[in-house]
Amino acid sequence: MRDQLERLRREGLAALAGAEDEAALRREEVRLLGRQGELTALLKQVGALPAAERPEAGRLANAVKAELAAALDERRRALAAARLERDLSGAGFDPTLPGPPPPAGTLHPITRVQRRLEDLFTAMGFVVADGPEVELEENNFDALNIPADHPAREAQDTIWVRSERGVCMRTHTSPVQVRALRRFGVPLRVVAPGRVFRQETQDASHDHTFHQMEGLVVDRGVGVGHMLHAMNTLLAGVFGRDLETRLRPGFFPFVEPGFELDARCPFCSDGCRVCKGSTWVELMPGGLVHPNVLRACGVDPEEYSGYAFGLGLSRLAMLCYGIDDIRWLLGGDLRFLEQFPA
Amino acid sequence: MKVSLSWIGEFVDLDGVAPERVAELLSLHTAEVEGLEWFGEAIADVVVGEVVACGPHPGADKLSLTRVEFGAGEAVPVVCGAPNVRRGLKVAFAPVGSRLPGGIKIKKARLRGETSCGMICSERELELSDEHQGILELDPAAPVGARLVDYLGLLDPVLELDNKSLTHRPDLWGHYGFARELAAILGRELRPLPLAPPWPEADGEGVPIELEDRAGCPLYLGLRIDLDAAPRPSPGWLRRRLLAVGQRPLDDVVDLTNYILLETGQPTHAFDLDRLQGPEIRVRPAAQGELLTTLDGVERQLVAEDLVIADAGRAVALAGVMGGENSEVGPETRRLLLESASFDPVRVRRTAQRHGLRSEASARFEKSLDPALAPEALRRFASLLARVRPEARVLGPPAVAGAAAAPAIRLELEPERAARLLGLPLGREEVAAPLRALGFAVADEGSGPLQVGVPSWRATKDVTLPIDLVEEVGRMAGYHRIRPEALLAPVEPPWTDPVRLLGRRLADRLAGAWQGAETQGYSFLDRRWAERLGLPEESFARLANPVQDRVDLVRRDPVPTLLEQAAGNVRERPRGLLFELAKGYEADRADADGLPVERRWLGAVLWQRPGVRPDGPESAFGAARSLTEDLLRTAVAPAGAEPGHGPSWAHPARALAWRGEPDRLLGWSASLDPRLAGELDLDGFDTAVVLLDLAALAELGAGRLPAFRPPARVPAIKVDVALALPEEVSYAEVEAALRRAGGKLLESLTLFDLFAGGSLPPGQRSLAFHAVLRAPDRTLGEKDERRFLERAAQAAQELGGALRA
Ligand SMILES: [Zn+2]
Repeated sequence: MRDQLERLRREGLAALAGAEDEAALRREEVRLLGRQGELTALLKQVGALPAAERPEAGRLANAVKAELAAALDERRRALAAARLERDLSGAGFDPTLPGPPPPAGTLHPITRVQRRLEDLFTAMGFVVADGPEVELEENNFDALNIPADHPAREAQDTIWVRSERGVCMRTHTSPVQVRALRRFGVPLRVVAPGRVFRQETQDASHDHTFHQMEGLVVDRGVGVGHMLHAMNTLLAGVFGRDLETRLRPGFFPFVEPGFELDARCPFCSDGCRVCKGSTWVELMPGGLVHPNVLRACGVDPEEYSGYAFGLGLSRLAMLCYGIDDIRWLLGGDLRFLEQFPA
Repeated sequence: MKVSLSWIGEFVDLDGVAPERVAELLSLHTAEVEGLEWFGEAIADVVVGEVVACGPHPGADKLSLTRVEFGAGEAVPVVCGAPNVRRGLKVAFAPVGSRLPGGIKIKKARLRGETSCGMICSERELELSDEHQGILELDPAAPVGARLVDYLGLLDPVLELDNKSLTHRPDLWGHYGFARELAAILGRELRPLPLAPPWPEADGEGVPIELEDRAGCPLYLGLRIDLDAAPRPSPGWLRRRLLAVGQRPLDDVVDLTNYILLETGQPTHAFDLDRLQGPEIRVRPAAQGELLTTLDGVERQLVAEDLVIADAGRAVALAGVMGGENSEVGPETRRLLLESASFDPVRVRRTAQRHGLRSEASARFEKSLDPALAPEALRRFASLLARVRPEARVLGPPAVAGAAAAPAIRLELEPERAARLLGLPLGREEVAAPLRALGFAVADEGSGPLQVGVPSWRATKDVTLPIDLVEEVGRMAGYHRIRPEALLAPVEPPWTDPVRLLGRRLADRLAGAWQGAETQGYSFLDRRWAERLGLPEESFARLANPVQDRVDLVRRDPVPTLLEQAAGNVRERPRGLLFELAKGYEADRADADGLPVERRWLGAVLWQRPGVRPDGPESAFGAARSLTEDLLRTAVAPAGAEPGHGPSWAHPARALAWRGEPDRLLGWSASLDPRLAGELDLDGFDTAVVLLDLAALAELGAGRLPAFRPPARVPAIKVDVALALPEEVSYAEVEAALRRAGGKLLESLTLFDLFAGGSLPPGQRSLAFHAVLRAPDRTLGEKDERRFLERAAQAAQELGGALRA
């Protein structure tokens, strides 16, 4: 018995010390000390010994049990420490492996630019108004002081809708000026984003359908300085910093005086492809609302004045994201759309 | 339009103002300058050379072997093929290393065995004319070694103006108009246009002129000129002027009419007087179908709205657009009738457009030229003719028919109002001065409004209201002086459009939770879509002049373009979700303005490879259903779905109509009709479509908030129940039966397994549910579970099936 216990002790201590990992250790624990284990089997034999030998054998067995338990405990701690050390060392961990595919949802680039502007102008108390894309000639041209024989009305510029009265695909967002003034009256601050249509052969920079945003303010005492302020604020909002701007003369029948606003090229300091080397980019036409337009909308031009400006949303989106061809915008190609995470 | 600064320099002193600065000043004060180029730059390398030796080329009859001195060391050998090359001639010489127009670089060459170090140039090689019979012969006094451009005074800064920025300014279609602007901008003197002295009153000897269409042509002048000899090339200064602004010189008669057009803006036309029948002039509407061959050699069939200049027998010119071949000036011409007239701008534009013939003349007439220019142009012609061809005789005075003048416009301008609108601190004199500089007559009584007379060249359509004067004052004072000024206005929240805001929320949800891609599609559909959708073409707004033939329907909703876009994507993306917020137009109904009714839609298309089932959670149909439920929940719109007939793109048996309470149709979710899928090359895909009426949704959800219910404090019991039922029994029937079985205790019911086959008899399927039972006031026990299962078993039996163990 003594020999058996001694053998178990030696063999057990060696096995515990040699257990490679916690699972192996657990297996040795069960084999040596478990309810069905080898030590338990020996302890059962103690009862079969002559009475004189029993106390000695019992003590010895308990000593072996205690020694094995201690060794087990020590080995377990050592293994745990080694595991922690390995864990902390980073071994076996590849931080460069990919996670699951990220969610893919995207918003259209025009939506992104448009929302930014809507938010900016809403914060300044502007109504975001809407008007139909299929519009009356009256609103698209007449009320905007565009003469009946103006070339813009002709079939080579305007897409007309078959109708008994003059109906066209609106050629600009400006008819929303008319609708908004009639609906909301004065004083009024309004922006109107939307799609517009022109007889245009498609190429990289032209499409027959594109997006604009109209701005209009009518109140007492409104002047060009107010328009310039709104335009500068808009550009700072879009490009994230103040841009130097300049006004040049421009001509549009529904404003007088009319302007073109140039901004210092946001993409370079000494000339690039966008500004064609000039460092100025033509961004926004605008002007004081023509008295004939105010009158057509039931507003007295002697009492009120206003400014209006237009902005090419499609062009702005293309500038902001470096989109090289306008036909991507309405093409619906997922390889394009997927590049604009929501 | 191209504007030569040396030309402008004849009328206003530009000394000390760099061409770049002139370009900038015009851009900032007048019209957009798109570019500045130096005429003559392309031949800046060419120098004056002298042929110091000239002999035959030993290897070629037609070539000469010369030596040319050009002020850089020794004379060099040059092979020349021109017949007029000879010793002692001063020539335009392009030495080795120099460049010529068209990117040609001169290199040392061997021609038939002889070395040639440079090229003696013809006028054509220098792009000075088409002359290429021989080399350009320079004056014997020309200084050898000087740059040719310097010697001939060829370098000329030329501005390119954006024509679109000039459309409203008839006075800016000639150099003199720009001179007037620059004089005002720079505060310098504007020199008058040199004109021949006015003729004494008419002596009645001219060609008789009859105006049969006074609206089309209110004023016509005809001046007879005896050339004395055939037309011949113009002098160099005149040719270079024309070349500098991109006009090809022809002969002195044509060149002079072009010169006057480019200088004053007034087109004139020279007829060969001896080819005019009568001779007499009749300005009349064309006869319908009348034929006229214009100067470009094209025979044109005219319509009655076209205005023609005719002689006693036939049309000889398309009025204001182009002359006719039958009266063209040519080598035989000895006498001219020079036309200068005033034509109706719209008629000219329509005719030019109708015949695809936009000429320099029509481009100007359609801008509403000042009628005063018509007689002035003849006097300018006479003055230039005296310089170019002193032997010619003007058989003046011109014959005149009709009368026309720009309206005499007097306006009142309140200087304070002008200053306020411009946002510039301008005093009375600062308002008046720029107007005077531009030729306006300003009377100032020291208070009250300024009395402003509009000059004739601005009065035809450009300046008609006081606000037009405000623009003149502002652009001359300088827009750069305007400071931005924040608007002061009441602080109040603006009205917001609920449909727009809902659209935003739903788009965010679709892109965020559903990983969809927002797209935009074109508004125009191919006519085939009417048939595909089984709708009459009249139900669409239809284009009268579509951009693309047959693509002439305005979409009623975004579904057609979504489907087309999906089909375009499947090769690269076999699974996807596209959605669009779009407007649609329904022409079978009209709004208050008589316009097609506009509706605002949210459309989505989902596609994937077909799975095991066309319905249920794995299918596109199922995803479309859940997506719709989710969007309705986001919109806080209480609504339900019922199987039914969808729009014509929908699969007839796989569509859900979504209705809000009280009964209002909100839209559909459905599988795509397989026949349509086939036509669009979407067969092979499980495709579903969602279409929701945004306005109806916004209205239904208006003012609603998600309702809160306190979570229960008592634990629930979970029971799994599986039923084997005949296949015809729908999920909805099973769910309803189980809900009845669960009664008030049933908190939720979730389908987790659905199968057929296996151990089941044919014609049966198994549906397995997790049920959660809970009572508000007590913990449920085994008895409650047993009772639920008993009732479920009974429900199953009533549906023709049984509970599965
Ligand atoms: Zn740049």
